[in-house]
Order: sequence, then structure tokens, then C-alpha cells
Amino acid sequence: MSELAPACAADHCITCADDGVAMTVVAVDDVRGLALCEDGGGARSSVEVALVGPLAPGARLLVHAGTAIAELEHPAVA
Amino acid sequence: MRFVDEFRDAELGRAVAAEILTLVEPGRHYKVMEVCGGHTHSIYKYGVDDLLPSNVELVHGPGCPVCVIPMGRVDDGIALAREPGVIFTCFGDMMRVPGSDGSLLEAKAEGADIRMVYSPLDALRIAKQNPDREVVFFAIGFETTAPSTALTLKRARAEGVRNFSCMCSHVTIVPPLRALLESPDLRLDGFIGPGHVSTVVGARPFEFIPADYAKPVVIAGFEPLDILQSIAMILRQLEHGRCEVENQYTRVVP
Repeated sequence: MSELAPACAADHCITCADDGVAMTVVAVDDVRGLALCEDGGGARSSVEVALVGPLAPGARLLVHAGTAIAELEHPAVA
Repeated sequence: MRFVDEFRDAELGRAVAAEILTLVEPGRHYKVMEVCGGHTHSIYKYGVDDLLPSNVELVHGPGCPVCVIPMGRVDDGIALAREPGVIFTCFGDMMRVPGSDGSLLEAKAEGADIRMVYSPLDALRIAKQNPDREVVFFAIGFETTAPSTALTLKRARAEGVRNFSCMCSHVTIVPPLRALLESPDLRLDGFIGPGHVSTVVGARPFEFIPADYAKPVVIAGFEPLDILQSIAMILRQLEHGRCEVENQYTRVVP
């Protein structure tokens, strides 16, 4: 295998690594289209949820760059 | 954590590695390209390639929008960042990527107001906090990241934020794949397809690979077992003389 490029020396790149973080919805702000979410380590952040269906607290999301790109355990996915 | 721990199970990993051994023909050399940079990171992090037979080779694909960005785009970003009144925001990925005359990190050290953000929403927040400054977001990434930029621009317009703009450098994954497949020097047996890109665009954009180039594609997740299982699925297609797009990442990609 070739070495990774020097710019990739850091452990974590949001876009290069096509990062996806599993997060749990804590609260939903339907008016603003945002949800307060928590990752596995307890860190919380606001997440854009326009790409996923109606949500309730406890829903599990796959989040990339601050945007939910899929709802985990959704009936459409196995 | 669910969806993570079970895909890092060492015993299951050894079982899939043993299955892979049964799927390879002795004397045949297999080359499989992982399209996505996330897969490359996982392969390194977990030593996935160490579990493969010596005649199964993983080839790194074009899946890093940072590494493939033209130097001139970095130069453009630095020039914008040095404009008076500008706050230039970008993912940390971009900070150390060299332009023709230094990186964004070096420009920041020289006084440009360059701030690292984790999402375009963070950049928009900075714009709202600094209404007298022009906040520019350096938008990079493949199909996974582009919706995040688009939604933030829509949000900025809806909220009447006038001092926020994006320097759009998004790219799509299909053209470089097609260019690779057109290369006369290409010797690949199959592709591990990009899981999160497929979450956004689905599997259909990759159907040209088996249809036009007779190579199997398996869309895969990013845990070590995902990658091992996707390699087994590719080898099984080759063993059976099939080539199609299969989805290993069913827990996320419909």
C-alpha cells in the first residue's frame, strides 16, 4: 500500500474520510428544522434534519458535517 | 454502541477472513479498489489488509476530495481569506493542504482570519455573530457533503443572512471512476463502493460499472467487518462469474 498523503496525517478528516457519526436525537426544533443530538461520547450539537423524515427524541441518525444523511433503524433500511 | 461494536467483532472478522480464503483461486492475483477515503482509513486503522490472503490486493481509490483538490483552489481560498473584512471558514481537512505559496494554516499564522468549522452550520453561525464581516465557507467534499452546503445556503437565505457565501469546490465521484475505468492500464477486479455517498445518491449511479465495464461493485460500510464482508461479496461474484452492484451497507443505504 502507498502511504497516505502528508495532508492526511491527522487522524480525522470530515470530508476525506466520508465521516458518518451515529447520533441520538435529544430534542427537535421543527420550526428551525434542527435537532439537538448527542453522539456516543455524550457530545451534543445542532444537526440539520431536512433530509430525514419527521423525528422524535430517541431517533438514531447518521450525521455527516452537521447534517443528518440517514435515519438508522428506519423501516426503509434493513 | 449499536451499529459499531458488532462490526468490530474479532471472532466474526476471523470467520469472514477464513471465508475469503476459500473464495480465492490459488495463482490468481485479485485487485480490489476501495473508492472511498473512509475505507482507506479503516483499512489502515484496523489492519484489514493483514487479514487478507497475499493474492488479494487493495488499491486506494480517488475518494478524498481534499487530496484531489487543485492547488489553484487553495490559492483562491487564501486570496479570499486575505481580503479585508473577510472571515474565511473551512473544515480542518483543508488547513494544511499546500497551495502554490503556502497553506491556509500558514496564511492564518500570517494574520488572515481563517477559522476551522465542523459543519457549514457553524460557519453560518459565525456570519450571524459578525454581521459587519463577510463570512466565506470553503465548501469541499463529495455527494455526502454537498447537501450540507446546500441546506446551509437555503437556511442563510431563509433567515436573511446577507454576509454569508460559499466558495464551492464540491466534486462528484462518478467522473473520476469512469476516467479510471477508461484507463488502458487499469487492472482491477472489482470496487468497494462508497457507503455514505450511496446513502445520498443510492446505488443506481454505479450501475454503469458492471454494465459497461463488467466489474463488480459492493457498496460497503466503514467498520472492519463491513470491509471484509464486502471483499468476500466481490470475490463471490467473481467466483460465480457475476458482476453487479450489491449493497453490503444495508443498515444505512436503502
